[in-house]
Amino acid sequence: MKTSLRFIIFLAAILFALAPITMDGQTRGGAKPWTPPKTPWGDPDIQGLWPGQDMVGTPLERDRSLGTRAFLTDEEFSKRVAFAEEQQEIDTADLVSRNPRIARGGRFVTCEEDPNGCRNGVRIGPPNYWDERGKPTKQASLIMDPPDGRLPPLTPEAQKLQADRAAARKARPCATQPGGCHDSWEDESLWDRCITRGLVGSVLPNGYNTGNQIVQSPGYVVFRNEMIHEARVIPVDGRAHPNASIRTWMGSSRGHWEGSTLVVETTNFLPGIPVANTPTSDGLRVVERFTPVDPDTLTYQLTVEDPKTWTKPWTVSFPLKRSKDYAVYEYACHEGNYYMYNALSGARSEEKKK
Amino acid sequence: MRYIGYLLVILITVVPSVAQQAQTYRAPRLNGHPDLNGIWQAMNTANWDLLDHPAQPGPVWQTGAIGAVPAGQSVVEGGEIPYKPEALKKKQENFAKRMTEDPEAKCYMPGIPRATYMPYPFQIVQSQRDMLFVYEYATANRLVNMGPPQKAGSDTWMGMSNGRWEGETLVIDVTGLNGLAWFDRAGDWASDRLHVVERYTRTGPDHLQYEATVEDPNVFTRPWKISMTLYRKVEKNAQILEFKCVPFAEELLYGQFKKK
Repeated sequence: MKTSLRFIIFLAAILFALAPITMDGQTRGGAKPWTPPKTPWGDPDIQGLWPGQDMVGTPLERDRSLGTRAFLTDEEFSKRVAFAEEQQEIDTADLVSRNPRIARGGRFVTCEEDPNGCRNGVRIGPPNYWDERGKPTKQASLIMDPPDGRLPPLTPEAQKLQADRAAARKARPCATQPGGCHDSWEDESLWDRCITRGLVGSVLPNGYNTGNQIVQSPGYVVFRNEMIHEARVIPVDGRAHPNASIRTWMGSSRGHWEGSTLVVETTNFLPGIPVANTPTSDGLRVVERFTPVDPDTLTYQLTVEDPKTWTKPWTVSFPLKRSKDYAVYEYACHEGNYYMYNALSGARSEEKKK
Repeated sequence: MRYIGYLLVILITVVPSVAQQAQTYRAPRLNGHPDLNGIWQAMNTANWDLLDHPAQPGPVWQTGAIGAVPAGQSVVEGGEIPYKPEALKKKQENFAKRMTEDPEAKCYMPGIPRATYMPYPFQIVQSQRDMLFVYEYATANRLVNMGPPQKAGSDTWMGMSNGRWEGETLVIDVTGLNGLAWFDRAGDWASDRLHVVERYTRTGPDHLQYEATVEDPNVFTRPWKISMTLYRKVEKNAQILEFKCVPFAEELLYGQFKKK
C-alpha cells in the first residue's frame, strides 16, 4: 500500500514536471525521457549557459481574456509574431533617430498617451533597441499556477501594508514633484541602487543582460546571473540552512537531486525585497526546479511562497535554452552608478530653484 | 681534486630536485587535474599593505583600536614595488585620500590580484570543464576560461581570465583589467596596462600556494611578484555568506546629495 502510494506520488511528480512541455503541444510523442550526462562525481550535469532572453516577450501575468488557457491559439500567436516584427522595425528605426514611441505592455504608445515616459516630447529612459525583446512563444504567461496565470490575491495583512505604504508615500512633500521622490538613495529601487534584483528578479527574463550560467563542483551547483553579477552557491550535500538570523538579499539556498531534476529551496531572505513589484516578508520561501528535458533545454520552475503576502503560492515555469556563444559581461553596476548621483543632485538643484 | 669537481656537479644537479621533491605534494585529482575545490582565505595583512609595515592607527581615530592596522611582513618578493617616480607619487596621493578613494571603501569590485587576499573567503568551483571563482566580498566573481585563450572584449574590474594547467599548478593569465582597482589600502595601484599571471598550487590537503606576477609598463620599471599561502576553511559549515556592501557605502558616496 505504502509503496503504491509513493509510486502514484512519484508519477504525479513526473507528470507535473512534464506538464509545461506537454501543454505546449510539442510532446515528443513516445520518445524516451532524456537523461542528461553525469559529472565525473556522479551528479546530473546541467552545466552551461542558459540565458533567459528568449522569454523576455512573454508576460509574467496572463491576459484576463484568456482565462485558464495557458497557450495561445495559432491566430493569437500570429498577432504576437506581427507585434514582434513591428517592434523590430521600430527598434531598428530607433538606432537612426530617437523615435518618441515607447514600447509598453505589448503595444507602442506615443508621448501624448504616456506623458510619464517623456519630457518635452522626448522619451526618457533607454532607447527601445536597448532592451531584449525575446522570441514570440505560444506560452500565454510565465505564471502557470494558479491556473488563470495571474498572481493570487494579497492577504488582508499585505493589502493593509500596501495601502499604508502608498498613503505614506503620497503624504510626502516630494510626492507632487515631477519625477517623484529622490530625497535619498533609499527612495531608489534596489536595482537602481545596484544591490540586487533579488532571487526572483534575477532569473525572470527581463530587459537586458539576462545571462545565466550553471557551474557544478562536487557537492555544489552555482547559479550565476549576469544581472548585478550574482553567483548563488547552492550546496547539494544535504547540509542545513544557516541560522534564521543570518538574512540576505539572495537568501540561503539548499539543493538536492530528484532524479535528473535539481530542486532548490531558498529561505532566510531579508524582509522587503520586491517580488513582482510587491515587497515580500521574512516568510518568503522560494522553491526552484531545474529539469533537463533535452540536451539544449532546461525546464525552469519557480514557486513563490509567502503566506504573509499572497493568499496562496504561485509558480512560474518556462524553458531555458542552452546557448553555446552567449557572452556574459561583467555587470559593474554600482561602480558606474551615475544615475544615483544625477537623480539625487538633480533633485537638490531643482529644490534650489524654488 | 677531480672527484671534488664531480661531487659538486652531482650535488648541484641532484640537491635542488631532491629538495623540490620533498616539497611536492600531489593533490587529489578531478578529471586528471589537481582538485582546487574549496573555500579558501588568506591569513595575512596584504590587504592593508603588500609591503612590510609596522602596526599603526587606522584611518579613523573615532573607532579606536578597531580598524587599526596590524603589523605585517611583505608579500612582495624583494620587499619593494618597482614604481616609476611619478607613479610612486600617485601611490602616496592615493594613500592620503584612502578614506574616500580606496575602491574597497566604495564597495567596488576588488580586481585581480586583490580579490585573493581581501579579508573574506572565496570559493573555487572547479568542474571537469569550467572554473569559477566566487568571492564573498561584493559578490564579485569571475569565470576562468579553460578553453582556447580568449581576448578580453572590453576592460573590466575583474578582467579576462584564461587558465591552463602546468602540472600541479593552475596558471591564470589575466588581462583586460580597467586600471581602477587598487592592490591594497596603502594606495598601491596599476594602470589599464596591468597584466597579472597567477599561479595556484596545492601544497597540502588544506594549503594553496598563491603567486602573482604583476607587470605594467606605465607604472612599474620591471615585473614584480607577490606570493602567499591560502588556507582552506575546514569548518563543517564553512560557506560563502553574502557581503553585499553597497548599502554600507551609500552614505559615503551619496551623502552630500541627500536632502537635509
